[in-house]
Amino acid sequence: MSDELDPGQSSHTLSVAITGSGGSGAVTAGEMLLIAVANAGFYGLMGRSAGPQIRGGESAVMLRAGVAPVECLDDRFDILIALDWLNVSRFAEEIPLTRDSLIICDPEAGEIPPDIARHGARVVELPLEALAKGIEGGRTNMIALGVLAELLGIPEEAMLTVVDAKLARKGASAVVPSQRCISCGYNEPKPQQLRQRLPRIKDRPARWNISGNEASGVGAIRGGVRFVAAYPITPATEMLEWLAPNLERVGGVLLQAEDELASVNMIIGGSFGGVPSMTATSGPGLSLMMEGLGLAVASETPVVVANVMRGGPSTGIPTKSEQSDLNIALHGFHGDAPHLVLAALNIRDCAFTTEWAVHLAEALQTVAIVLSDQFLGQARSVTDPPPTAPAGPGRRLAQPAAENYQRYTLADPGGISPMAIPGTEGCLYTADGLEHNERGTPSSMPQDHQLQLEKRRQKLTAIDGGEHWAEVHGSGDLCILTWGSSSGAAFEAAGRLLTMGRPVRVVAIRLLSPLPEQRMLDAIDGAVRTLVVEQNHAGQLFHYLHSLNLLHGEVRKLAKPGPLPIRPGEIVNAILEWI
Amino acid sequence: MSGKPADTLLKAKDYKSEVKPVWCPGCGHFAVLSATTKALAHLGLPQKDVAMISGIGCSSRLPAYVSVYGFHGVHGRALAVASGLKAARPELTVLVAGGDGDGFSIGGNHFLHACRRNMDMTYIVMDNEVYGMTKGQASPTTSPDWAESKLTPHGPGVPSFNPAAIALASGATFIARGFTGKPNDLAKLLVDAIQHPGFSFIQALSPCTTFRPDQNDWKKIVRPFEQEATDDPVEAAKRIHADDGMSTGLLYQTKVPVWQPERSVRAQIDQLELGFQV
Amino acid sequence: MNENDPSIIRDIPDFLAHAIALEFESVERYQELADSMDVHNNPRVAELFRKLAHYGELHAHEIEHHALGIDLPEISPWDFKWCTPEGPESGTLEGVHYMMNRRQVLEYALCNEQRGRDFYAGVAEFSPDEGVRELAAEFAREETEHVNILKSWLLNLVEPDSVRPADLDPPNIPE
Repeated sequence: MSDELDPGQSSHTLSVAITGSGGSGAVTAGEMLLIAVANAGFYGLMGRSAGPQIRGGESAVMLRAGVAPVECLDDRFDILIALDWLNVSRFAEEIPLTRDSLIICDPEAGEIPPDIARHGARVVELPLEALAKGIEGGRTNMIALGVLAELLGIPEEAMLTVVDAKLARKGASAVVPSQRCISCGYNEPKPQQLRQRLPRIKDRPARWNISGNEASGVGAIRGGVRFVAAYPITPATEMLEWLAPNLERVGGVLLQAEDELASVNMIIGGSFGGVPSMTATSGPGLSLMMEGLGLAVASETPVVVANVMRGGPSTGIPTKSEQSDLNIALHGFHGDAPHLVLAALNIRDCAFTTEWAVHLAEALQTVAIVLSDQFLGQARSVTDPPPTAPAGPGRRLAQPAAENYQRYTLADPGGISPMAIPGTEGCLYTADGLEHNERGTPSSMPQDHQLQLEKRRQKLTAIDGGEHWAEVHGSGDLCILTWGSSSGAAFEAAGRLLTMGRPVRVVAIRLLSPLPEQRMLDAIDGAVRTLVVEQNHAGQLFHYLHSLNLLHGEVRKLAKPGPLPIRPGEIVNAILEWI
Repeated sequence: MSGKPADTLLKAKDYKSEVKPVWCPGCGHFAVLSATTKALAHLGLPQKDVAMISGIGCSSRLPAYVSVYGFHGVHGRALAVASGLKAARPELTVLVAGGDGDGFSIGGNHFLHACRRNMDMTYIVMDNEVYGMTKGQASPTTSPDWAESKLTPHGPGVPSFNPAAIALASGATFIARGFTGKPNDLAKLLVDAIQHPGFSFIQALSPCTTFRPDQNDWKKIVRPFEQEATDDPVEAAKRIHADDGMSTGLLYQTKVPVWQPERSVRAQIDQLELGFQV
Repeated sequence: MNENDPSIIRDIPDFLAHAIALEFESVERYQELADSMDVHNNPRVAELFRKLAHYGELHAHEIEHHALGIDLPEISPWDFKWCTPEGPESGTLEGVHYMMNRRQVLEYALCNEQRGRDFYAGVAEFSPDEGVRELAAEFAREETEHVNILKSWLLNLVEPDSVRPADLDPPNIPE
């Protein structure tokens, strides 16, 4: 991000970053600040970044707070507070600063690294460590938290309450010194003209503080998932960690599998048994699962895969975000294997989209792959409670003692044949991944193959996802097409362009396959220039939409790989340069 | 045995489906089909409450030939499908069937973990030391000098896999070896295996009449284990390694807690969601 | 004498339970073989196995008729007192081949009938119960008739050699 960009500043948000080496407590301070932001009535978004070390590595938290929902990080940070400067240069590109930014640091921590200093941001030196040492049991991160919270305009009392709640279980010996440090940070004199404040909020509506991975877990349980089998993988693991105890509370089970080949086949087994089943993984795991997912398609066993994307290919960049698994999600299967691909548009939407995916997979007896990414998965959001997805008809089950039961019957014109689950009287059958006839008996006859292929295709083409297939906002002959976590930046860019007198419509696609083509054509009708925005190198959505022959007029792509997020200013610039 | 009146009891042949096996006449797998149906009839298990899971290979065709619920999945993953099914539906009787290639080569990792997870299911491997469905290649249990496959013209050249030893080392709680030339003994092993609480493993020596006609001689060398089954893993290991792999019967059985998660509803979804409210 | 020794069949119900199992198991094996030969495109042999199953079934029902009104014991498959791995009249698994001809089928069936006859003859000789001995002797006579019928079929069969033809094609790769 270069300094000369003037992407139309978003109003009423503030972005702050806290950096520090391992054990300095930057992450803890960030988490507390996010809760305080919520308590003060603001929306918020907090991402994290870290070095490759398991422990002791440098960390950064990036927090953006605002009066309206915050769905992406901003183009620049207002404040960077450094607990120390050890290896902080690695975050220089992730924490873009400008001349208007403010760096708060301890002169004892040494020189500001050149990569951080080069933007010419204003610097305020505060003796953070010395202040902490002046308080028995005091910690530098809590001093910094007090300084930051006061600058943001968060009432001191609200901040102290958060500390009390967060540290209560550690006892008064932890709470009291931390609260003293925070008060010390509040009271430390700061140059008044540097003060950044959010407006006061009178009403404090009920909000959630949730990560995308947790939201996906909520969506899964809302959708009825009661069996999960999975293998740990970054950055999907937190979804499993949330699901394990919470599934148990609602009468479900999470099984840690020996590998992803097992996890996908285990959920096929669970679903064959009649229990809505899901796994969560990331790119390498999804690659391993493809054969099993083909089996689920062929045997018409509904399963859901929550795939939290990271930089690829291969092991790639496990801790960083990228939207580069669209191709494998759409096309990774061998054979003709119709299935569902959905993508969550923001952290809150992880709940809705995952729940909807479960409903669709169950109703259509097929595979649903739900894409989110490391940013959505691991970032936390202070957001309005996520809405529930429209309830589906559920899985169509065979009636006991059905006459001449045929699992894969073609009798239903919609292609959805009743599924008998073990325990159902009189409907014995063997599910098969081999091509089969209506009864389920393996068959290599051309007619059976043709008819069963058509059956499996027909189920999917017959669905109408309704208005939920995409979020469509704005109007005009400029169009931004996007998906997944890039949607937040796209919507914000459209907002900024509108204030510049350049109305733009944004189509953020949630149901990527089967893509409701007529709805898509209606949504982009009249668009003269279309920019396809996505966080990958190849332009995977761009090429997919071309392959469906859905793009008309002038079309460009803004495709940028991870690990850096697409920021709203980049999209604004791409549009402004074009018109 | 069930206490139902005799005319409602299912006979072995009632557990046979109407699907005609594709196995070569003379294949040992017919005896496993026969033993399975006899075991199910003996136990009086309702057809609807039994599920048989398999992967890919000649032997993995078994579920379609048995009149219970079946799942014929992909190569090597039968134990995974079965584990998921059992976790989700603990009340079902879960049987898993497959061959030596399916279970010990491509599915080897699942075999290790199914043994150690000790879920209540029965795994029968029809071992003929060859891949039949792909025209007779060496499998993990093929002897190193078997040079009949074009793929390994000098023989596999590596020691063969010892299923019982691996099962024991991985924590299996019921290990047996049967022979398809003795279908009734195999049926008895299956009954004991199904009744065993936990993961039960049966290696069924099952000659391949097409690619391993030499295995017709197995009937001359197969004999029962000289001793009763042991519950001592050290003793079991000694017996396994002292044996040429042709002794049959129950080798090892021990009682270890079964892995089966408790399922009870203790909270509603909105209670879980309270944790996110600020 | 061991537990599988037919001579310890001590009473009529035990004997009839054995006889019924022997016959039906044999019939089921023939039916299974007939199906298998259908699948392997050997229709004439399939037809012959089906015929053998049919005659076996008739005989099995006759024996069931003997057992009317008698409370038969339930015997687990492995508790039958056979001297053979399965019921003595059941065809062995390894004795068949997809390209076998009708002469081989009859020779195979002949062996089965002879084993059945030998079983009954053994019981007729050694059972401690006189009633069992008498009934077993009657059944052994019937099996001898079956053996003779099979022998005459073999004599009259216009299918000269019992050498298995070579398969001119390599095996298939189904999966």
